[in-house]
Amino acid sequence: MCMAVPSRIVAIDNGMATVEAFGAIRTTSLMLLEDEVAVGDYVILGAGGNFAAEKVEPEVAAEALAYLADVLDSGLA
Amino acid sequence: MQGLEAGISLALGIEGGSVASVDIRSTRLVQASRMLAGRTPAQVIAILPTIFALCGTAQGLAAAAAVENALGQPAPPPQRMARRLLLLVETIAEHALGVLRDWPALTGTQPDLAAAKTLRPCLAATRRALYPDGDWARPGGGRLAVARPVLDEQISILSGIAERLFAAAPDECCESPDTFAAWVSRGEGPAAALLNHIHRDGLDGFGRSPVHPMAESGPADLDDRLRADHDGHYAARPDCAGQPQETNALTRRMRHPLIAGLLERHGGGLVSRFAARLVEITASLREAADLAQDLCDAPGTDADLAGSGRGLGRVEAARGLLVHGVELEEGVVRRYQILAPTEWNFHPRGPLRHGLLGAGAGPGLERRARLAVAALDPCVACTIEITRHA
Repeated sequence: MCMAVPSRIVAIDNGMATVEAFGAIRTTSLMLLEDEVAVGDYVILGAGGNFAAEKVEPEVAAEALAYLADVLDSGLA
Repeated sequence: MQGLEAGISLALGIEGGSVASVDIRSTRLVQASRMLAGRTPAQVIAILPTIFALCGTAQGLAAAAAVENALGQPAPPPQRMARRLLLLVETIAEHALGVLRDWPALTGTQPDLAAAKTLRPCLAATRRALYPDGDWARPGGGRLAVARPVLDEQISILSGIAERLFAAAPDECCESPDTFAAWVSRGEGPAAALLNHIHRDGLDGFGRSPVHPMAESGPADLDDRLRADHDGHYAARPDCAGQPQETNALTRRMRHPLIAGLLERHGGGLVSRFAARLVEITASLREAADLAQDLCDAPGTDADLAGSGRGLGRVEAARGLLVHGVELEEGVVRRYQILAPTEWNFHPRGPLRHGLLGAGAGPGLERRARLAVAALDPCVACTIEITRHA
């Protein structure tokens, strides 16, 4: 499934963000985002991860991350 | 995040100058929906559009329909119309995003990010224009209060984007094989640019395979197969009587005059598949505009979610039929299943394998394989590996 993993922005440089989720770090373009984002915000990446697709509110991100942590723990991932 | 990094991998084995083996593997998390068990339907519906954000409308509405069917409380007609409109807008946005963001990469040109950027906000605005309280996926139906000017504006924005990606009047380009060929030969805009490349390289029919279209509401044995699918094998590699079927823009638009004409000449090759997505943009826009005129307000319904039962929710998502199956026991989810279109369309014995098996392994094979994958439109990234045997 095209699981969208909310990723936390740890740095922003010239339209590119460094994001973190479950310990993995990657860079993604912010060019497709409508909302302004800052370090500490959560975003969901599009398929392939090259572009952030959507900003996610922290409480929604927390709920999704808790579910995804369960998926990882269960060995279903 | 390693375990959550789902994708498809395609491995081609070359022998004697042609593709002798096609191995398609998926690491998509087709079992993850099991972890939804133990939650209430409301909790499931709250979380699904976030964890499947890229087709969140389809996921939320499939969940709502599954719960409604399990409880024997179908949504009333005005709600079904509004939901159909939301699905159409998501479908247009997803196809347009593909053309604007991803198709240019296939010809080595720059994506049109300025236009692509407007698509997701348009979907969010459409949801708000129909369901101001944000309860668009509520079982039974949310409070439907149509903000017509806002809705009209979103459809107008989408029409503008369609004109931009066609760089012409979309309906005329898709009218017939002749008007389509004339438009492709001009090569203007991201859609015609890709199709022009494909045509010039003689690849219109590349990757052709017999098309086994799925019936409109899914295979007849869908419920039985899902019910019996305790090991998750069916949800990972679905078939109907042993035959992998397709569910996508091509199977939905096969009867359109342009697509019927292209299928006759090129079978299920590149041009038929890419064109079907373009036709789907124009047809969905028309249907959305018509629906928007006919929508009426409706109160929110408090479905009684405390019951028990099993139900399927089927929705036409951008990439094909999406099915959710739910078993409820006194208001708690006991079992949750999701069968997504990518599992049908990228079946290891499906159209990608048929289309690539026996293909010439001359220079540019990886690019041709990349085109065949893009034409089938996976919802995750796909890696390609080519191994040449002596």
